[in-house]
Amino acid sequence: MTNSIEIKNLNYRKNMKPILSNVNLTIASGKIVGLLGENGAGKTTLMRLIAGVAKGYQGQISVVDESKIAAKKAIVSFSEQLSGFNQNMKIERIVRFYEDVYPDFSEDKYNQMAGFLQINEDQKLSQLSKGMREKLIIGLALSRRAKVYLLDEPFGGIDSMSRKKIINSIIRWKPDNATILISDHYVSEIASVLDEIVIIKDKTVFAQKSTEEIREKFGEGIEEYYEKVYEGTELHD
Amino acid sequence: MNFDDKIPIYYQIKEYIYRQIITGKLEPGEKIPAVRQLAVDLTVNVNTIQRALSELVTEKMIESKRGRGNFVTEDINKVKELKGKLIMEQLKQMYDSLRKLNVSDQEILDYVSQYINKQERDQK
Repeated sequence: MTNSIEIKNLNYRKNMKPILSNVNLTIASGKIVGLLGENGAGKTTLMRLIAGVAKGYQGQISVVDESKIAAKKAIVSFSEQLSGFNQNMKIERIVRFYEDVYPDFSEDKYNQMAGFLQINEDQKLSQLSKGMREKLIIGLALSRRAKVYLLDEPFGGIDSMSRKKIINSIIRWKPDNATILISDHYVSEIASVLDEIVIIKDKTVFAQKSTEEIREKFGEGIEEYYEKVYEGTELHD
Repeated sequence: MNFDDKIPIYYQIKEYIYRQIITGKLEPGEKIPAVRQLAVDLTVNVNTIQRALSELVTEKMIESKRGRGNFVTEDINKVKELKGKLIMEQLKQMYDSLRKLNVSDQEILDYVSQYINKQERDQK
């Protein structure tokens, strides 16, 4: 099996403060991986580094064997928070912007997803509810034909129906060989969809485990395992 | 479908398909929904569905036909065997827990037939 993400001895500081230290991580292609950790643990930073948005790190980050920033940007689809757009902009203009900027953006895929998620392109960004905004963010991210998708906390503070639809879209529209990394600080609702979990703690990758192995070997739920690891009561070999 | 997060999901998917076959919701020779469709219906990972299905193929409960999909076995005896196996599993659980309460074999038989009679009466 080929690897889609390979990180070796990554160190990253911001304003002299270490954010991530000595991170080593390998993720095989085709997997759906949960990136777990408390708020401020460095999940978003790690995603920004993989996406090539954050710069000035030490170590190696390669995505599907590409280590140059421009090449990474072309194959990684990172869920943008849309904060750079004018809030009065209509959704249809944002979609057109995506089509122009990303050569791998599939209008067909977007239309299927927009139908399923009931996105109304006539609305302005500022008119969207939190759940609808998150659906748009995920819809745009998944519409690219990328090798790696980084979805940053897509379930934060949204209603359960929206959450279900987003999870459903991820299963439905994930290309077979693509890898999806989903960050969250709460894992129960997505546990059944994940192949693996990666836990970020103490500024590094604290544990990486297959979800089925956690169930099979420890007889534990994923949330339970995660909490125990975080509190230091679980041996995580 | 709700999964128990403490038990491997591929195992629960297998159990789910077994039940579909035994109850006739999936008939012998019937095509099983596509992998992606099952993943969407059950809200699980495609890789997990594939693992469950490949074990069912190994057990010959389903047959994989190249380019056409997966089909329930047409071997009626396989289905009967599966049903027998699941019944024995349930009986074993009941039997073991009753034996732990020092209930004798004869008492178990008596109580089971009493219980069945009561069920029949209640349904009338």
